[in-house]
Amino acid sequence: MAQYKILGRDPYWMNFYGLMILTAIEVGAVGADMSSTAEALNMSEDGITLWILTIIAIPKFFMIAAIFMHLYGDPDSGILTMTALFPAFFIIIMILFIGLTHPDAATGLPAWCRPGTWGL
Amino acid sequence: MFDYDLELSEHVYTGEGLIWMFVAIVITSIGMFVFWRQDLSFDGTYEPLATGSPFKNIQIRKVGMFVFLMSEMMVFTSLFSTYMRYRLGLRRCDDVFADGLFDPVANPTGWQEAVPVTCFEPASHLIASSWWHLAPGAVNTFALIISSFTIVQALRYAKKTDIDEELRRRRVTMFLGTTWVLAILFLTLKMVEWFVGFYIPDLGFIHEHEIKSLVAEGYTIGADHYQHHSYVDEATGAHMTANIRVSASTFYVTTGTHGAHVAGGIIGLTYMTYKAWRGGYTPTNAVSIEYFGLYWHFVDLVWVIVFPFFYLY
Repeated sequence: MAQYKILGRDPYWMNFYGLMILTAIEVGAVGADMSSTAEALNMSEDGITLWILTIIAIPKFFMIAAIFMHLYGDPDSGILTMTALFPAFFIIIMILFIGLTHPDAATGLPAWCRPGTWGL
Repeated sequence: MFDYDLELSEHVYTGEGLIWMFVAIVITSIGMFVFWRQDLSFDGTYEPLATGSPFKNIQIRKVGMFVFLMSEMMVFTSLFSTYMRYRLGLRRCDDVFADGLFDPVANPTGWQEAVPVTCFEPASHLIASSWWHLAPGAVNTFALIISSFTIVQALRYAKKTDIDEELRRRRVTMFLGTTWVLAILFLTLKMVEWFVGFYIPDLGFIHEHEIKSLVAEGYTIGADHYQHHSYVDEATGAHMTANIRVSASTFYVTTGTHGAHVAGGIIGLTYMTYKAWRGGYTPTNAVSIEYFGLYWHFVDLVWVIVFPFFYLY
């Protein structure tokens, strides 16, 4: 169990409160009218929602992993965190190079990085 | 862009991969059985520790659980990247609808009535359309977070040495039982959202609502003539129909895989709650709750990503 405190209080309770608040903001952000913000930032409302959801999901992810899963603060946290990060390379490949590439990428790439340019 | 209709029609699934799915289920089941058998008689006197680097002096079962969770992470990463790829590769159906009704002269690129358009229709278009539609998913999110907290509390009380045995037994049972109830609630609301829907009567301060399930709305993996109620041209009354098989499949496969993990967790929780009720957990063998807790937190972790990107966005 965690031997540290967050703001002088029990870390599990603090984590629980934090997760509940962040989730409430997340749900609220979807219902909120952000048209004026979108206009001011020259973005679409969907784009702003996506940013908010991403920004909230990241700390939630770390709060669960670090505090509830004890990947922070325990004697074996370091090596277990490294184990947890092991598939990071695979995840980067899947998300960045497969998930985020456009289906047109193969034909839409600049000429210098398309097959043929290097005599292959 | 790819012609997804052509892609789909050329790839008829014949089920040849099913055998590997069953092999994987059998291997996982054997692993779970060994884990359970080890836990059944585990009194804390012999918890095997790793002897070699880099996990020296760390419980082998704990390391094994993390390695298992990493393989799970890869499974969900595959599902997420599939979703992202299709979501980026196909135009959103409401964008296609915004192009307007086809007219050979004025709008030659518009949609035509009764000619389905292949486009991406995120489930959030239905789910996030009102607070009532969103309610099951939102309640489920809070339920999973609370259940993550209750399982930590179960572990805390199981490890406490300064309380009497009866109080420990009652507290651990209560927290594990609460986790079990929340997991059941999660799957129940998932079924309501997918298949059943719900009805809110007129209560004066709340107006009458009938919330249809996703399936009743026509959001299914076979929907090649899907009609959202907003895809109607106001001037002519023409309906835009859409082929949304790809978007519905990514939604149901990803959220369904997550739901299957919750169902697996319920099986484990049933056994653990029973064991706790029998007074089976003591400070010396409480680590079993910790190992299961790792799995359960991982299920919550996945939901942290699934909920915003499949339900809200």
